[in-house]
Amino acid sequence: MGYLWAQLRAALPLIASGDSGVLAITWVTVRVALVSTTCAVVLGLPAALALGLGRFRGRRALHILANASLALPPVLVGVFVLLVLLPQGPLSSLRIEFTLRAVYVAQTILALPYIVALGAAAIQGLPPGLPAQARAFGAGRLQCSRLALREARIGVMAAVIAALASTLSEVAAVIIVGGNVQGHDQTLASAIVEQVNDQDNIPQALATGIVLMALILVLIGALTLLQQRSGGIRLRFRPEG
Amino acid sequence: MHFLWEELRLAVSLIFHGNPYLLSIVWFTIQVAVIATAVAAVIGVPLGLAIGLERFPGRRLLALLANASLALPPVLVGLLLFLLFVPQGPLGDLHLQLTRRAVFIAQSVLALPYVVALTAAAVQGLGSGLLAQARALGARRAQLYVLALREARIGVLAALIAAMGTALAEVGAIVIVGGNVYGYDQTLASAALFEADAAHFADAIAIGIVLVVLIVVLLGALGVLQQHGDGIHMRFRPAA
Repeated sequence: MGYLWAQLRAALPLIASGDSGVLAITWVTVRVALVSTTCAVVLGLPAALALGLGRFRGRRALHILANASLALPPVLVGVFVLLVLLPQGPLSSLRIEFTLRAVYVAQTILALPYIVALGAAAIQGLPPGLPAQARAFGAGRLQCSRLALREARIGVMAAVIAALASTLSEVAAVIIVGGNVQGHDQTLASAIVEQVNDQDNIPQALATGIVLMALILVLIGALTLLQQRSGGIRLRFRPEG
Repeated sequence: MHFLWEELRLAVSLIFHGNPYLLSIVWFTIQVAVIATAVAAVIGVPLGLAIGLERFPGRRLLALLANASLALPPVLVGLLLFLLFVPQGPLGDLHLQLTRRAVFIAQSVLALPYVVALTAAAVQGLGSGLLAQARALGARRAQLYVLALREARIGVLAALIAAMGTALAEVGAIVIVGGNVYGYDQTLASAALFEADAAHFADAIAIGIVLVVLIVVLLGALGVLQQHGDGIHMRFRPAA
């Protein structure tokens, strides 16, 4: 155990000192998590509402597709995004391959299934009479959506937290599309992969791992709190009337 | 689009010519998925059943831990195992670093929370009357466990499929403990990462196609399981 202890002792000061790079990587990671989850919410929430509330042809197929995309290996998303962005690829004019923006794009695609599938599941879990009654009282589509969002807020928040957690832990797609460039588009998770490969860098990897663990624990804590005190939470969603 | 098309054509021809490198990765990936899921099942199903059925101190904590570890980044699991396996580390004498066995261990550890948490959830989802009745009729503990397993079999199988899915898709942990050594301890997912990094796009696409096929097979199995839940006959039978 002496070895582990020594590594841990070397790692702890690295977290606090600004010049070790851990802080910079943390900042990039937080930005990636926030930007891609926000994009995924903006794109995915309407889709989740449509799947959860709408009655249209192909809804079941779309629902199965959304659930299945949760199981999509992130490596494949990475390969696909990179191929599209490469100089020979169809979206090469964007010139974002191996940049932080490419990481945003890949992580948004990876976060999207969480918002759509889990969000739709939360909305479908509402009592079936609720949207029907609202419709009967003459609520428009927008009002119905707001009502559903407000009532299913716990499930939707859980979906957002799951999306955030996935962006924090993701490695493969980040490495492929971003190139894992240190201090530029490396996240905490992808930085660990590189630091471990460099044998002398174990304390650095450990320091990075501790910060990542702390962020994940915060998210798990938030989720647990949300699920236990679900009755007491007030959110900004309010019905029109 | 010409570029994508050309790479895709190359990839398909790699698959249909039975490229030996590709075949060896597929074989190793299946080994990893099966071994990791089996190990996780042997350890995790009894644990999940105990959490679902028993009342012992620390049960809630154990359930919370299992649920929380579902969210654990695989990279962190990899880092922890790496530190245990390095020559100077506590398990250094076992010489596991950068071996296939390290990959098996890492994926088993990652599969375990799925099996424990989802098995416990499946057992807890059973009607409480059923187990109470079995207890009242004098079922012994072993009989109770077999009954619970039999009744919750769909949920338990879904847990095993989820565990297998992570073993197929996961990269973070095995790249760290296994080193992603070309043609030795690479799974489809880690090989795709390797090939994409090396700009061998046709290989990466070929590997990706095979991986998608495997995942779709698993998803299909899960879908069938969930829809025809009642029609499935399994070997689990109550002892009585």
